[in-house]
Amino acid sequence: MAASTPATQMITLTTNDGVDMTIERQVAERSILIKNLLEDVGETGEAIPIPNVSEPVMRKVIEWCEQHKKDPPASNDDDSDSRKKSTDIDEWDQKFMQVDQEMLFEIILAANYLDIKALLDVGCKTVANMIKGKSPEEIRKTFNIQNDFTPEEEDQIRRENEWAEE
Amino acid sequence: MSNFKRAPVSGGLPRNHVLASLRSTQLVDSKPLLPAELISTILDFLPVADLFRFARTSRRMQEMVYDDTRWIQRLKSMGCWNEAEARQRFEESMRRKQEAQRAREAEEARRTGVGLNGSVNGIAGGGDGTRKTSSTLFDAGVEEERHRRSLERSGRPRNGTLQDGFDAMTLGSSDGDGARQDPMQALGVVKRARSIRGYARQEYGKIYGALAPYYLDLARSRSHTDPVLFQVYRDPEQQARMLAQLKIFAKSDFALGWHEREEKLNSIMGVFENAVLREFEQGYESKDVDGRMRRYAHILVTLNGGAAAVDVFIHYHPLMLEKDKLGNPLDCLEGASLGTVSLQHSEGFFRRLAGAINEQVSVVDRVFPPSTDVILPLLDRVGEDIISEYVTALFDEAHERNIESYLKAVSGVFEQSLQFARSIEPTKDSAPDFTDEVTRIVARSIEPHVDLYLQEELDFFKRRSDAEVTQWEKRLFDEEASTESFFMSNVNRQAVKRDFLTSFKKVVMLPVNVLPANPFAAAKATVTQPATNGSSLDIISRPTTPLPTDRSVTPRPEAPTTELAAKAAIMNSRLEGIRSLFSIEVALNLIHTAKSSLERVANFVQLGGQSSEEAKEQCEAIFVQLLQVLGTRHIKTGFDKAVTHLSTYNPREVGEHSQSGVEPLVTFLELVNVGDLIQQMVDVFYMQEMVYAKLTDRDDFLSPAIKEKKRFEQMLDERVAAGLNKGIDVLMDEVEYICATTQLPTDFNPSVSGDVFQQVVDIGPTSTATRVVEVVSSHTSMLVGSTDKNVLDVFNQEVGLRLFTALCKHLKRQRISVDGAIKLISDTNTYHAYISTLRNKSLTQYFAALRELSQIYLISADHAKDIATIIADSDRYYGIFRAEEVYEFAERRADWFVVKREVERAMYGFGCCVM
Repeated sequence: MAASTPATQMITLTTNDGVDMTIERQVAERSILIKNLLEDVGETGEAIPIPNVSEPVMRKVIEWCEQHKKDPPASNDDDSDSRKKSTDIDEWDQKFMQVDQEMLFEIILAANYLDIKALLDVGCKTVANMIKGKSPEEIRKTFNIQNDFTPEEEDQIRRENEWAEE
Repeated sequence: MSNFKRAPVSGGLPRNHVLASLRSTQLVDSKPLLPAELISTILDFLPVADLFRFARTSRRMQEMVYDDTRWIQRLKSMGCWNEAEARQRFEESMRRKQEAQRAREAEEARRTGVGLNGSVNGIAGGGDGTRKTSSTLFDAGVEEERHRRSLERSGRPRNGTLQDGFDAMTLGSSDGDGARQDPMQALGVVKRARSIRGYARQEYGKIYGALAPYYLDLARSRSHTDPVLFQVYRDPEQQARMLAQLKIFAKSDFALGWHEREEKLNSIMGVFENAVLREFEQGYESKDVDGRMRRYAHILVTLNGGAAAVDVFIHYHPLMLEKDKLGNPLDCLEGASLGTVSLQHSEGFFRRLAGAINEQVSVVDRVFPPSTDVILPLLDRVGEDIISEYVTALFDEAHERNIESYLKAVSGVFEQSLQFARSIEPTKDSAPDFTDEVTRIVARSIEPHVDLYLQEELDFFKRRSDAEVTQWEKRLFDEEASTESFFMSNVNRQAVKRDFLTSFKKVVMLPVNVLPANPFAAAKATVTQPATNGSSLDIISRPTTPLPTDRSVTPRPEAPTTELAAKAAIMNSRLEGIRSLFSIEVALNLIHTAKSSLERVANFVQLGGQSSEEAKEQCEAIFVQLLQVLGTRHIKTGFDKAVTHLSTYNPREVGEHSQSGVEPLVTFLELVNVGDLIQQMVDVFYMQEMVYAKLTDRDDFLSPAIKEKKRFEQMLDERVAAGLNKGIDVLMDEVEYICATTQLPTDFNPSVSGDVFQQVVDIGPTSTATRVVEVVSSHTSMLVGSTDKNVLDVFNQEVGLRLFTALCKHLKRQRISVDGAIKLISDTNTYHAYISTLRNKSLTQYFAALRELSQIYLISADHAKDIATIIADSDRYYGIFRAEEVYEFAERRADWFVVKREVERAMYGFGCCVM
């Protein structure tokens, strides 16, 4: 890796399909996993392997990180108040998340693995929005869930929670 | 999920059972399904309705949605979850459960005993019984049991009603419906929520069922009149309760968009609040206390604690609008003479204010529900607006007019305000620390003035004490020409001093005793203490001229004050001799100025917190200042002057020696006495004012007051020591002068005159010896009772030794015959007798040695050998005289030349004779 000024220090990541990607350290450090790794290992100049993420997903994740590199770092007190994180999705993120469902899930998994809390939240909110207002059958279809209820059982759950219906 | 359970009941996919599972694994592979934790995170963002649709997709999802912690979290966010209660319930149900189990176990045992083991499964038919008998987990413990129950619940959702000994807690969906149908029921739904483990979803369901329709409707509504809530509930009380509940409920809304929904709710609540507030205001204006005011205050309290109502109540309070009626701060200064302040006016102000507030207490009790604290905010406002304003105006004006009246005003008003605070009656439901709280509020309104006040107080004291000393010095200067000394009889001095000190103590202590026992009610007509003390000070400073103006106001401290003044006058007349150096009167004045200042400042110690610390510091500063003025400026210069007088004393220049004392020394010793008295006064003052009043810690060696006090005492000791040193010199000069001038050569050598018989008859000390003893003893005894015993011992020792030396020198100048020796022996006996009264052992030895020595003159010339023996016998002289020295004394024999040879022979042997 070429030596550069600390402001634009570059690091290299290797995805699970063997592609090397060189990005700014600041961008990469949106991922707590990579940040901690860099802090622990120090300046080796070697590429960091990311075995759980494929190249297309990684590109997407990096795109998000580029956009959000100026954000304040995630607070440590995770989900002390679940209301705090359920703010609305901003416009850029909404557009960013307009991908097919497979990619959406891949991004969520990657964000989870790389420990990028904000991205994970955005992904989950997008999924939640997809679920909203759908019938159980539609949800099953969307998320490929195997129905293991009898119709009576399903109805029982519905009646049990009638109070929640609008 | 347990397959074996599903198999008999479902029958939905019985044929391609194997294939189905195969296909599902394929699907999972191709399309990634998110892990449970991520699904759980997604669920956090879902509205409640969608949650249950999601639950219906599969067992796994249902399990996740039904997870108790998810619902407990919601209850917690509303503040409806009580962990302790949940634990208690759980333990209770566990116990019941175990009892039921034991009963069943017994039954089971009975049944198996009968031998129907095989048919049990069939009878139980897939229920609990099946599982239990097949796994025989009866004794598997509490956790297992619980686990089984939760499995059972989620696994067999059709069992809408859950028995299992939980009948009391059975919560079906019907409950939620019921709540929705009965609007009256819904009013208290949040309060009724219970904390039961495993039933958090149902509990939340009850609340949700009751409130969500209104909540969501509210969020959707366009105008403020739209919401169903206001149509269902017509009564504003109910509307307020509902809105308050919705406010709480909104906290459990985690789903996306909660922010907008909550805003909406808040804005509607705001509109509602404003409407109610208007009604309240109108009620307020028309003074409809028990009607509209009371009703709408209660509504507002239900809605959001009623802060707005309290605000309005206080803001439009008649007290705020008519504050001028309570009194004009400048009244206190009008008509009061310079340096005083008439505190009756401020007194009246506080009394009227207290009356008005106590009246309000009953109004508040009628208007507001007991849970609302109205009086304290009201008082807060009163303190801020009324008291502060009054006090500031008064203090500023007083400060401009006269510092002394300012000081009195601040301290006095502060004391009054504290009494005011105590006189406020608590409301029915005030906290037990109500009075403390009120005191704090009132004190806060005066606090801003404290800093300036403390500074002024110290400055004032400084100026005053300086002026006092300067004035005295000036008077002294004027009188110096006609200074005369006065020899005081030392009879009874200690008794007089003790007497004086007790009355001093009494006066110092008196106001301290009176002050705390002065309840507001009783004190209403009287002036507060600081003013009293201020005037008592005046009386003391001029003991002979009573001040008619102030006296009438201060009946209490008058008697002891005059008594003290009389004592001071007596003391003064007795100590007139040293009036020229420093005055006990001045010291007394200073102490009293300090005392009044201290007492004013000490009031503020009650303030607590930082101001109290500052007040304490200021008290110490005043004390330090007192010591400095008293010590450095007054006493030290006095002592220095006395020492100078002493050192310039020359007995030969003083014509008259008929008196029994050396004048400057007498003066000085009296000074020591007075200094000691002043020091004791300071000590008493310190104990009474500083230590007992808890203004300073006696054991705190870092405290400036203690340091200064030590320094003061040290300074006094130093001066005394220096003076005594000089004094001894002077005394010895006098002794030598007496010896030189009065000792006749015939005293010890009568044979010269030839009149042997006459002299022998006159056995007794010479007049010189008597005079010397008289002079010395009169001076040493002056110190008794005024100086420290150690100092006295050292002084006596020094005097004795110097006297001894002087006498030896004197003796060597005399010529002594055998006949005169009698005289000499009686002289030395006199000295010895005197010295032994000092009770100093080593000193006594010196004079005993001297007495022994005088015997060598008594031996007649015929016994020269014996003379030699006595000279050589050093034991005889306690080792004080060496043989050579005694030999020198022997030379003073009148017949020395006659016996010299014989004596020397006897002493040095025959060798000398050969030579």
